[in-house]
Amino acid sequence: MQRRDFFKKLGTATAIAAVVPTMSFAAGDSKPTGPNKMDYQTALNAITGGKTPVKSDKVKLKTPEIAENGAVVPVTVTVDSPMTPSNYVKAIHILNGKNSNARCIDVFLTPANGKAMFSTRIKLGGTQNVTAVVELSDGTFLIASQSVKVTIGGCG
Amino acid sequence: MEISRRDFMHIAAIFGLGAATSSFASTKSIEQIGLKDIYEFDSMGNFTLMHICDLHAHIKPLYWREPSTLISAPNLVGTPGFLCGESFEKFYGLEPSSLDAYFDTYIDFEALARKFGKMGGIAHIKTLTNHIIAERGKENVLFLDSGDTWQGTGVALKSRGEAIVKAQNYLGIDTMVGHWEFTYGKERVRELIDMLDAKFISQNVVGDDPFSDEYEELIFEPYTIEERGGAKIGIIGQSFPFTSTANPKEFTEGWSFGLRMDTLQEYVNELRNEKKVDCVVVLSHDGFSVDQEVARQVKGIDFILSGHTHDPSPKPITINDTVIVIAGSHGKYIGRLDIEAKNGKVKGYEYKLIPIASKIIPADPAGVKLVDELYAPYAKEFNEVLGKTKGMLYKRDTFFSTFDQLINDAVMDEMKCDVSFTPGYRWGTTVLAGEDILMDNVYEMCGITYPNVYTFELKGAKIASLLEDIADNVFNENPLYQQGGDMSRLGGVTYSIAVANKPGQRISKLMIGGKPIDLNKTYIVSSWGGNLQKAGENLQKEKIRPVYDVVRDYIKRKKVVDVSNKGNVTLVDYSCGCPKKGSRGC
Repeated sequence: MQRRDFFKKLGTATAIAAVVPTMSFAAGDSKPTGPNKMDYQTALNAITGGKTPVKSDKVKLKTPEIAENGAVVPVTVTVDSPMTPSNYVKAIHILNGKNSNARCIDVFLTPANGKAMFSTRIKLGGTQNVTAVVELSDGTFLIASQSVKVTIGGCG
Repeated sequence: MEISRRDFMHIAAIFGLGAATSSFASTKSIEQIGLKDIYEFDSMGNFTLMHICDLHAHIKPLYWREPSTLISAPNLVGTPGFLCGESFEKFYGLEPSSLDAYFDTYIDFEALARKFGKMGGIAHIKTLTNHIIAERGKENVLFLDSGDTWQGTGVALKSRGEAIVKAQNYLGIDTMVGHWEFTYGKERVRELIDMLDAKFISQNVVGDDPFSDEYEELIFEPYTIEERGGAKIGIIGQSFPFTSTANPKEFTEGWSFGLRMDTLQEYVNELRNEKKVDCVVVLSHDGFSVDQEVARQVKGIDFILSGHTHDPSPKPITINDTVIVIAGSHGKYIGRLDIEAKNGKVKGYEYKLIPIASKIIPADPAGVKLVDELYAPYAKEFNEVLGKTKGMLYKRDTFFSTFDQLINDAVMDEMKCDVSFTPGYRWGTTVLAGEDILMDNVYEMCGITYPNVYTFELKGAKIASLLEDIADNVFNENPLYQQGGDMSRLGGVTYSIAVANKPGQRISKLMIGGKPIDLNKTYIVSSWGGNLQKAGENLQKEKIRPVYDVVRDYIKRKKVVDVSNKGNVTLVDYSCGCPKKGSRGC
């Protein structure tokens, strides 16, 4: 990536923070019973309210097939959306499949963000799926998933 | 044209193994005809790419036996990258016992080795490349190196890569990428690149330390544009995507690798649309099967010159208009690719995988002199005869090899451990039955910059899960989740494996020291060349010692080593080591 692209990205992230500072780290509406414990299905239900999310090419989930370091796995979610008041992405949620807490981050957006894109790094305790769940302004949910291998490595 | 059956038949005929009545054989010496046959090429187009990959620092000729077991997930069986032995011969139409069969397969290796002699060596490579340059004109030839060049022998290790850079400069390498190169550490890599005449390029190495000036910046130039034969050739570099997991992270701290197919696509587009090149080449260390995936997903690449998985591929393969070639390993071959490219388009090409048969291609005297000079400071140590071997010592195969067994025997004997792990690298050497084992051979098997043998404690359950993890790196049905090595070799352990089973469910009948594994028991484990010690506890610091010293001392104690070729792994779901496409057998 060129430096200019990096600043472009940084710009997007700043915009999110400035316009909608509502980012929560797996807390909020779901109220888990204990600290740091929530399985994938519970987390998904808490987000969708039981609706079934639809697999979609509009959600681009970018994360490595094989993690270089399980402690900081880069994840970027980009959603193809016009981001107009009548049709926009309300939220991007990133989940993992097997950590004790499956819910990594919830990012809430408005049309003012202009672009539905979020990039972060998450910790993965082992080989598992990383999932992006996207809530649209019409109340429907989209989903994209990819397996990330976290390995001790060793061959060459 | 692709290399034809005729070429193989011709070489076979020369040695009186096929059509023994060939009229050539009676009038000219074997060496003369052999050389003509090796050189023979219907040259075409406006430029030539010469390709080498995975030299592993073998500047001298060596014996290198290809695998007799090369098992993969069922969907990949019998496809290029997963072919060996008889199925390799049949797939490529090789004449049994021909020079090509000797180079490309394990079959009858010992007998053919005594007949055809050693393989590779920079002095012999140079004679061939001189011939190609003379035929094509220097201004029309490029020499590209897919990496794994600086590491793999004692002379490389002791000179910290410098001897091999000198060898590359002598060979006239124009451009390269890397993998084991990085195990000399970032600073040394930069020093060696300064000494190197070739350009070192990579589009997939990017800074990831937020406190560094290099953050999110490319570490190397992503591509280079060269003009040859009136054509503009764009060459994009792709270093090994999994360097930071396959080798210790500390060597490349602050650099991130990965396949990065999205930026690869951007560079292909940039070269085509903005730079208006006539031909787009990806010089790659992804591995042969991964590069087949790259060709499926990235549009507009004309040629991928692959490396890493050490496959000799006599014929190119074409996927979505991308032609992929790979030229074996250890300096055994040079790939010659003649290309006709004009007005932004490739019109045609011809390819031949040329075996560097050191008995047939004469040595360039300057190369012999250079090799002697590079080896001179270490000759006394390297030429020490440690002992003899009763049977052949080889490295390749999916689960087991005799040289790795010897290393495990040495480690277990000294470390008094229950289990010994030796990595499933695909580089090394071959020592024929009855021959002396030199210290040089030991370095050829384990000459790495992180050679320590660690002895520590692991719970049975952890050993079992590690083994499953390693199996999934080798046998995943999706090449993008493989790392391109073979299974780790285990001492003190036997197990059965069902390769086609789901991840985590492949291994059964796991026995340690002849008894079924106890998942709750703590075992003493020794390991080198990997990261396993990080998963263990109670590291025995006083026992830490370089693996090449451990192996040297063991061979000297034994004087004659006798390693059985029986193997410690039972393959449950395949009936032979080199299965054919669409089957579980031969």
